[in-house]
Amino acid sequence: MPKWYEETNNDLDVVLSSRIRLARNLKNYNFSVCLDDEHAKELVGTISGCAKTLGEKSSQPFELCQVNRLTEVEKASLVEWHTISPLLAEKKQETALLYSHDESINIMVNEEDHIRIQVFHAGMDMYAALEKADKIDDILSEELPYAFDDKFGYLTTSPGNVGTGLKASYMVFLPALTMAGKIQRLADEVGKYGIEIRGIYGEGTKSLGYIYQISNQKTLGCSEPEIIDNLNQIVKQTIIQERKRREYLISMNGDEIEDKVYRSYGVLKYAKRLNTVDAMMLLAQLKLGMDAGLIKLKEEFDVHTLMMEIQPANLQRMLGKNITGTERDRYRAEFLNQKMVDIIP
Amino acid sequence: MLCDICGKREAKIYYTEIVNGKKKEQHLCEECAAEHTSFRLKDPFSSREFSLGGLLSGILDSYGPAATKEEEKEKEKIVCKNCGTTYEEFLEKGQFGCAGCYQAFGRLLGKTFKNLHGGDSHTGKKPVGYVSETNRIVNELSKIDKLSIQLQQAIEQEEFEEAAKLRDQIRELRKNEEHRVTSGEEA
Ligand SMILES: [Zn+2]
Ligand SMILES: [Zn+2]
Repeated sequence: MPKWYEETNNDLDVVLSSRIRLARNLKNYNFSVCLDDEHAKELVGTISGCAKTLGEKSSQPFELCQVNRLTEVEKASLVEWHTISPLLAEKKQETALLYSHDESINIMVNEEDHIRIQVFHAGMDMYAALEKADKIDDILSEELPYAFDDKFGYLTTSPGNVGTGLKASYMVFLPALTMAGKIQRLADEVGKYGIEIRGIYGEGTKSLGYIYQISNQKTLGCSEPEIIDNLNQIVKQTIIQERKRREYLISMNGDEIEDKVYRSYGVLKYAKRLNTVDAMMLLAQLKLGMDAGLIKLKEEFDVHTLMMEIQPANLQRMLGKNITGTERDRYRAEFLNQKMVDIIP
Repeated sequence: MLCDICGKREAKIYYTEIVNGKKKEQHLCEECAAEHTSFRLKDPFSSREFSLGGLLSGILDSYGPAATKEEEKEKEKIVCKNCGTTYEEFLEKGQFGCAGCYQAFGRLLGKTFKNLHGGDSHTGKKPVGYVSETNRIVNELSKIDKLSIQLQQAIEQEEFEEAAKLRDQIRELRKNEEHRVTSGEEA
């Protein structure tokens, strides 16, 4: 079965993936801030107990993983894949993760909210993700007593999530807008519509690999489709702007960009040591080149998946042993060298 | 006092924010406050360390002739009977302790939610098979109670013919009930 990030889709030059997150709580347990260890254990047991029913009713098996019992490297690796949040990884209390085999659906248990349903979809298809999340949500709501209120909707720990408990986010690749210094302006602009843009890797505006997350901030007072339609409008505009910028960039500095793309390929294929930051930038350049048709490889591969794979904890997990930073840089280079298939001349 | 931003409207909101490690106090009118705070909220780059809790107390820490110091103090002391979280703690942390907190602080939340979301009522999905609190209460009412409510509405809307019909139905039901009770006692 292909993993969700291996599926193909249009718009992949800009939109890497779509993610839905639903925040839910049970009414008969205190929320995470007021939940003691004993009740946390009971809560995790109760929710984990739904794994079988989830599997039967959604006709795909669900696996259970006790997150707090994983090693630090295993947890860090799950964070690098965006499978779990740093908050869940850091929690000392009993925590769990339920996930489908293709990894497209997962449920974090005892995070900031009791239940965080997450659905991932390759490329731009938020409604497909919402549909899947809804189904899981319906199954769980029949098994567990949700904290729900006539006026306020789904009750959450943070007032920022109350109502639908829905966060829809697109992972986007914006090299041209970033190079043109337009991200801050874009952030200000979309902010007026209740949409947030933030860098995924690194701090603030310096987003490593030109990758950003665009998501809704408002959860109360609009329905789920309204939230997604509003977000889609913004993302479509962003795609148009990014593509225009790329065209302009290539028409103005085509030679320079082409040179950069081929240099990136060369380094990725032959370098003996690569740290995370450099590797991310090189991969981003290569993706830009592939999207623009400046370089063609014999086999297509998903650059974003590679970016996740070369994060420190993931490499360590692939190797199955603890390694020093230098060893890791050597292994990362080796790994990437192998991934760089030949160029179609 | 006039608003620090527009200098035109009356300042009604007392807003505190931390800028470069220094506390900055502002007195804003409602309009400017809404704009200012929503901007801060939506700007992911310049407000990295900003905390929702701080913002909430900023928004809610309003003053003016309507609320005296004592009334403010009273509000802060409101406590959720289930988890023990006080309204003051909620403002500080920006987190609810349990579902009961929403009920305990209910009256005070509308404005906070409006500021955060632009709306204060849920219009989206509901859990499968969910029966609203109002519907549940209505379902549990006796037939006579339901008719009485309809009668009340008919009178308020001056539909007197309808009201007369309802009144007769209620009388009929009462008579039957009394009859059942008395015959029950005799048996
Ligand atoms: Zn003003
Ligand atoms: Zn409470």
